[in-house]
Parts: sequence; structure tokens; C-alpha cells
Amino acid sequence: MGVGGMAATAPRIPATRLALHHFDMSYSLQLKDLWPSVRLGLLCEQKYGALLNNFSPVDHVTQELELLNATDFVSEAPRKAQRWQRGATAEEAGRGESRAQEGSGEGRTVMRAETMTQAEMSPPLRASISSNIKCYTFPRGDITRFRPARPDSLGLLDYYLMDAASLLPVLALDVQPDDFVLDLCAAPGGKTLALLQTGVCGHLAANDVSLSRTKRLYHILHSYVPKEIRETVSVTSYDGRDWGQLGGGTFHKVLVDVPCTTDRHSVMEEDNNIFHKRRTKERQMLPMLQLQLLMAGILATKPGGEVVYSTCSLSPLQNEHVIERAVEIAETEFNISIHVEDLSHFRTLFQDTFSFFSDCRLGELVLPHLTANFGPMYFCKLRRMRGTVKAMPLSSHG
Amino acid sequence: MAGRLLSGCGRAAAVPRALPAAPGLCPRRGCGEAAALRAMGFSEEQARRLLGLQPRLGPQRREAAAAQLLLLGLSAEAALGLLERSPRLLRMPTEQLQERAGELRRLGLDGGQLQRAVSRCPQLFTLPRRRMAAAVRLLRERCLFTAEQLREVLGTCPAVLLEEPRLLHHHFQYAYFRMGVQQKEMVKARLFRMPFAELRNRHIFLERRGLYQTPHKGQTQTSNPKLKDILQLPEKDFLASLAHSTPEEYEVFKKLLAREEKEEEGEEEDRDVL
Ligand SMILES: C[S@@+](CC[C@H](N)C(=O)[O-])C[C@H]1O[C@@H](n2cnc3c(N)ncnc32)[C@H](O)[C@@H]1O
Repeated sequence: MGVGGMAATAPRIPATRLALHHFDMSYSLQLKDLWPSVRLGLLCEQKYGALLNNFSPVDHVTQELELLNATDFVSEAPRKAQRWQRGATAEEAGRGESRAQEGSGEGRTVMRAETMTQAEMSPPLRASISSNIKCYTFPRGDITRFRPARPDSLGLLDYYLMDAASLLPVLALDVQPDDFVLDLCAAPGGKTLALLQTGVCGHLAANDVSLSRTKRLYHILHSYVPKEIRETVSVTSYDGRDWGQLGGGTFHKVLVDVPCTTDRHSVMEEDNNIFHKRRTKERQMLPMLQLQLLMAGILATKPGGEVVYSTCSLSPLQNEHVIERAVEIAETEFNISIHVEDLSHFRTLFQDTFSFFSDCRLGELVLPHLTANFGPMYFCKLRRMRGTVKAMPLSSHG
Repeated sequence: MAGRLLSGCGRAAAVPRALPAAPGLCPRRGCGEAAALRAMGFSEEQARRLLGLQPRLGPQRREAAAAQLLLLGLSAEAALGLLERSPRLLRMPTEQLQERAGELRRLGLDGGQLQRAVSRCPQLFTLPRRRMAAAVRLLRERCLFTAEQLREVLGTCPAVLLEEPRLLHHHFQYAYFRMGVQQKEMVKARLFRMPFAELRNRHIFLERRGLYQTPHKGQTQTSNPKLKDILQLPEKDFLASLAHSTPEEYEVFKKLLAREEKEEEGEEEDRDVL
């Protein structure tokens, strides 16, 4: 038997195996000692969050979920952060006072802590408190599942089940009243729905190149959003890379939730797996596509506006590298100055719910871990600065 | 009621005839028995304990049972301990006990090994013969353990004989095919001492963490941890030194895996119905 014959009879290696092998090679270097736990997380059942539908009466659902011991991680976060901060302050104050006046400082410390208000919290910790988004999750280590969503008397579903980490990019976008918002890669629509839950979007454009996936977006809008609000969302099916040609610089906030290697899906599901041999080229082109989509997103943003870029991959090539390249291209080719925002307060705020990677050069990354099996989710926020980059010699960039 | 009393009297009446009276006057019942037991090597205290077991039992039974155990090479204390833990042995017909002792001897179990086996698994003597034969056949013919290995397995994990052959086979196949371990290593690692579910937990935990790979056909060298370590380390040490993980993580994993398994079974049943 010749070599050709051997190849023909060689067993087909499942794409999930190829994906895992690929990840073993690259992520073990990136994540080092953390990789075994992340790998285990990817290979076990993921955790969900229940995004409450504010367009449906939420009181009884809230009650039901709280009886099950689930909590709204969005509203819990600042409360917890305040407690931690308070703890730290109290500790400091306690230490200071015990030095000055042995023993009798305790009462005053408590008073101080109780009266600490939102105004006293550091500004970034306060920032995302105003969101109307409510998402329930079960505590760390609790593997209870949510029941499927149920329709209310008007036929709208009561919650949307999603990876709770998917909300972080939306929270990072921090939609303000009357903002014009673009969701460039929107289907099937989980984040679009979350954006609508803020209740403050001035205008929302949801785009996705895939017609079949756009249908799913429509379906979600139909299942969760009343007609009059649904009709204010403009759904389109353009290739996001061409968005700039449609008139740029009009949005206050742009979400660029790009196609990626969908790491969790790739190690678990054979269907539609990007690690299939025949999709090698497509996979290799992903970082390029991501960069182009992010560029289009940046160009669609008003000066002073913000872009959040996100993926559900751990790959630095699809995450930090895309950001770095985009910032560089924006400056050199479009004369647009970009500021990469610091999101480290997210790590403080949500440390109880998610397990964050502490070594991200840019942006934030949620790592799967069995005790909090959400993610992977990478998100990074960019601000398009007003004014242009002053002409300067290229050498100063490198 | 009257009948039972009568037959009790009858048995009691038979005692003096069966056993020559011990020298000297001995008004207390069982005194002659005690002497006989002491003659077999039991200490006074051991004899007293032995007599205290099922006091109404005929002395022949007690002696015969004790003798069979001693003949297998058990120490007096071990024999006594066994009888204390499974008093059923005393009620077993002598021939049956004899026969089982013969079988265990044929399987190569005697002396110290039998002593250990019996203390781990007192049911060795009372377990139905068919069960035992089935388990032995499975280990020899389907799992292909050598006679020597079988002896070692029975000596160290005698409870295999109580296992349902189907589950035992599954346990073996899992280690052989899924983990790629040879019989020799299984024996050395005391494979069957760990309940199957726990073995599976530990193995899949390591595997999903990227720390264990099923060897390819013919592959002999792997960087997998030794089966012995996977099985014999206490959970705390297994987590710390082999899996490099924490109890919190492992606890969640066990819950998830149990749920996965339950749901797979459900799916299989659904398929069977279709
Ligand atoms: C990660 S998914 C988006 C998930 C969505 N944001 C959500 O939260 O439900 C990426 C999407 O990008 C879309 N996509 C791929 N190439 C695109 C392109 N060139 N322009 C616009 N969308 C594209 C895919 O169809 C896919 O639906």
C-alpha cells in the first residue's frame, strides 16, 4: 500500500480534537499554570446567566430566581465593591486610629463606613451602577440550571439565557440616554437585546452579514421586545467592513462583536466547527477580518465616541493584536487618534462572578473556570479622540 | 414453641456424647469445648470469645469452622476475628465451608494473603459459589489475568468477587482501553480497590486538564501519571500533586460529571426506545 492509500484510509480526526490540540499548543504558553483549569472549564458544561426582560413584568421572575439563590450580578457588583472598599477603608482607618487612641476607634470606623455614599466611591466603580440591565446568575460553584424562558400574558419571554460574560462588553459600552448605537455584528442578537434593555438607546442599528443569522435576530426581537420598540431598531445585512462607505462618524457607541474561533464551541461541537480542515483558510483569515471590522467600527464612531471590541476567544492574535493594529492604522492611515480605555475596574467590580485574567496587555479577558464557568470573553474599549493626529514622522510609532 | 424447646434439649443432650469430657469436674457448660479450642491454639481469652458467639450452637460446628479457618493458614486471632464479623460462618454446613476453603486454596489464596483478603472481605466464605465462579472466570478468560495475577487481585481486592461480572468487566475495560493500562500495572495499582465512579472522576479530571492521554495503539511510553498514583493518593494529595487543582474545583467537576453521565444514560435509553 502506497502512502496515498494510507492517507485515504487514515481515520478522520474530529475538528474538536484539532481545536483542542491547537489550543494546547498556544494557550499553555500564554496562560501557563492557568491553562489546565481553563481547559477543564472549556470541556465542561458552561454556566448561563438569565438576562431579565424589562419589557415584561419582572417582579415575579425576580422573586422566583432569588428563591433559587440566584442574584443579579450587575446590581450586586457595586454593592459588593462598596463593601470591599469600605472594608479596606475601615481597615486603614482602624489602623490609623488604633495608633492614635488605642481601642476606642471601632465605633467611629463603623459610622464612617455606613455613611460612605456613592459619591465617595471611586468614579469608575460608580460608572456602571446606572445600567438598567439585570442578569441573574447562580453563585460560584453552584451548577443549578435555569428553567427555559416562559412567555408572559402578552407573549413576551421573561428572560434570555446567555453566557453572563457576554454582558460585559455591553456594560463596558455604557450607553447614555439618547446615544446612537451601532451593533456591527449583531446576530443572533443576545447583545442587541441587552443594549435594548438599557432602555435609553436613542437609536439602535443592528447589522449582520449573514441573512440566516439575521433571521434569528428578528426572532429574538419578536420574542422579547414590544412592537413599538422593535420598530425603532434598524436591522441590516451589510458586510460590516463596508460600513464606512455608508457615511461614517455618526454613532456615539459602537459594538464590534466579531466572528472568532469561538473557543468553547470549537472544542465541544463538531457541527459548524471552524477547525474543520476545509475551513483552515477561513480560520487563518479571521484576524484580518476582525481588524477590518474593528476599523469599520472606529470609522462609524463620532469623534469623542466609543467602540467596544469583543470576542469569545482566548487568542491574543484575535484580541490584543487586533486592537494594537487597529490603533496604529487609525493613526497612520486615517489620522484618527485612539485612546485605549482602562477597564480594570471591571475586574474589581465583577471579581465575584467571573474569573479574570490578570495579565492582559490591553482590555480584559474572562477565563473559564469550573467554579465560575463563563467565557472566554475578551473586551476592550476604545475612544475616538476629537481632533486629528498631528503629522509626525513614522519612526516615532515604533 | 414446645417443639423448638424440645429440639434444643435434644441438641444439648448430644454434646457430652460427641466430646470426651475434659479431665476434672467442670460444671459449667462449654468447659470441654474450651479445652478443645485451646488445644487448637486459641488462648483462654480467645476461646471464651469464641464460645460467646452463638452460645447455643453445637460445639462440633464451632470447632469444625475454627479448624477449617486454621487449616487455611489463618492465625487464631484472624480466624476468631472473621467468625466474630460473620457469625453466619458458624451456621454454615461443615462440608460447604470445607469446599469453599478448598476453592480458595486452589485459587492460590492461603496464609497471610488469605488473612488479609478475608479481613477486607469476610463474605469470601459465604458468597454463593456461582457468583464466585463467574467472577473468577471473567477475570481469567475475559480480562486475561494470569493465574499469578489473579491470585494477587483476589488477595488484595477480594471484593471483586462480590462485583457483578458485567460491572467488573466494564471497570477492567475502562482501565485497559480508555486509560491504556496493562494487566500487570492494574494488579500492582490495586485497580479494583477504588470504586469505578471514583476512578472515572479522577481520570477524566486529569484528562480534561490535559494531564492524561489515552496512549495510541502500541505506544508504551507516555507522560501519563502512574495508575498507582491516581488510585492510591488520598484525594487531597491527588489534587495537590497530580492534578494541580483545588478541592473547590474538583467538587464542582464531580457534580457536573455525574450530571453528564446521567443525561447520557437518558439519551441512550431514548435511543433504545426508538
Ligand atoms: C460572535 S457573533 C455575534 C454575536 C452577537 N453579537 C450576539 O451577541 O448574539 C459574530 C457575527 O458576525 C457576523 N459576521 C461575520 N462576518 C461579518 C461581516 N463581514 N460583517 C458583519 N457581520 C459579520 C456573523 O454572521 C456572526 O453572526
